[in-house]
Amino acid sequence: MARPISHLPGFTPIAMAVFAALYLPLVILVFYSFNAGEDLAHWEGFGLHWFAKAWENDQVKDSTIRSLWLAAVAAVISTVVATMAALGTTRRARFKGQTFIYVMINQPLMVPEIVTAVALLIFFAWFKVTLGYQGMGYLVLAHSAFCIPFAYLPIRARLESMDLTLETAAADLYATPFATFRRVTFPLLLPGILAGMMLAFVTSLDDVVITVFVKSAGQDTLPTYMLGQIRRQVSTEVYAISTMLLGLTVVMLVAFMALTRKKD
Amino acid sequence: MKNLLTATAMLMGLTAMAQAEGELQLYNWGDYTSPELLAKFEAETGIKVTVTDYDSNDTALAKIEAGGSGFDLVVPSANYVPIYVEKGLVQELDLSKIPHHGNIAPEWMNVDYDPGRKFSIPWQWGTTGIGMNKTLYAGDINTSAIWLDPPAEVAGKINVTPEMNDVLAMATMYLGGQPCSEDAELMKKVRDKLLEAKPKWVSMDYGMTEKMSSNDVKATVYWNGAMFRSRLANPDVSFGLPREGFPIFMDQVMLLSDAKNVEEAYKFLDFIALPENAALISAFARYGNGIAGSEEFMPADMKDAPEIVIPEELKSKGVFLKTCTGKAQDYITAIWTELQK
Repeated sequence: MARPISHLPGFTPIAMAVFAALYLPLVILVFYSFNAGEDLAHWEGFGLHWFAKAWENDQVKDSTIRSLWLAAVAAVISTVVATMAALGTTRRARFKGQTFIYVMINQPLMVPEIVTAVALLIFFAWFKVTLGYQGMGYLVLAHSAFCIPFAYLPIRARLESMDLTLETAAADLYATPFATFRRVTFPLLLPGILAGMMLAFVTSLDDVVITVFVKSAGQDTLPTYMLGQIRRQVSTEVYAISTMLLGLTVVMLVAFMALTRKKD
Repeated sequence: MKNLLTATAMLMGLTAMAQAEGELQLYNWGDYTSPELLAKFEAETGIKVTVTDYDSNDTALAKIEAGGSGFDLVVPSANYVPIYVEKGLVQELDLSKIPHHGNIAPEWMNVDYDPGRKFSIPWQWGTTGIGMNKTLYAGDINTSAIWLDPPAEVAGKINVTPEMNDVLAMATMYLGGQPCSEDAELMKKVRDKLLEAKPKWVSMDYGMTEKMSSNDVKATVYWNGAMFRSRLANPDVSFGLPREGFPIFMDQVMLLSDAKNVEEAYKFLDFIALPENAALISAFARYGNGIAGSEEFMPADMKDAPEIVIPEELKSKGVFLKTCTGKAQDYITAIWTELQK
């Protein structure tokens, strides 16, 4: 009988190296964000000085609020769309072109982000000039679009693990399709929907490339603001902001795992 | 789906209404705009300035060229100024609306990329030179020999900035040429010199502000503003400008052709031409600004900082880097590629 992969020789050192490469830089970043000193490279004792400084910075505050708002709106819109798409692609007999639709929905995962970004830059510029509207709507649309697959995949996974028995039973008892959805499918699907929404939120929160190309005047998000800081000098303030962003992402991911955890 | 569309439309409407009166949209490099400057401008004029960041000239140009960017003012580097002008992306300034235009220092007034400053108002400028820890080498550092023919103390210890245009321009000038040379013979010598010097460099890296401060690196080819900050943290750091020739960069503010807040923009352009305001710009990012008399209002540690004030005898050796074209660009890229191996 084949041995499980974790018992093969060399597995442990390779796994350790991978985890070190993934997490060591993050640990160092978080560590130094608590540096009391001005200098990035030298530890001068524990302090929350940089967090306070980051929070006093109006640009940081504005871009944080903008990022959270944008991520929330994009997450809601993309989750609604993704839920409908997931229902449409799983709750029915297999149909011709299903794989094609599947690929279409997940397009943002396959197309290089920079290509989408440049395409959106040119496409939205046309609207910006003709309509004269330069508000957050463009960022909302762009973020909602590329968040759809991130919301779609967990919802679809959840739907696929739910068999049709209960829905069929509901229909047998003369429930309308909508009542079936509201009373049966939706409550069962809810953990998948919430998980999808959280993934979408985090994805939107982290986005740089598309945002840089789509943003209009006064629409810096936290990641694009941080990118702008790097030209002159990477400051400990950026470390502190990164740590906060990382903290938020971890919270969301833990919640995501709690929601998708299989019941034992 | 209909509800979704309605909701999106409402959202768009809401954000569109949020546009207040008396505002100005400045599109500038990140970490480059003094918040004090903006606060003072708002207090004096009631105009609220919103800053949006970019991280490269190319990103800024691409967004503005696409149209409908919504910005009023942009701050391109010297070599990008003619591109904006040629493409019609910026408008010629009505100098009657900038009464303090004459405050621009004479050496920054007639720059070859914008003679007479008809399109741009200086924001900040800087130089590329030699940062040196005096404990490592106390000799003359106003020469590119420091990194191209390093003295024994410096060999194996010096870092060189990984900026293609700066490095190639300095090496070409060291060998007696001008940046963007198309002289194949000379460029071959430049290549040989760089390849011969490279083994004597410890690295080609950024992040030297911190590393020079902490004595992790003791010599580097780098920017003046960064070395100034290093010296404030570590008094052993000094800065030299090669007498064979050194690159100067300058970023300046330009008024976009599709600017919506034109009157506000002119007020801002005149505002930054006042020495006391230009000094605020410099105090924040630690680079010189190009407005005569602003030294007076700068922080005490900046007024006569050797990194900011170019010595009289070296003033003529500074060169604005252009974007090289054609054969010159091919040579530069080929040498740089070989140097990176």
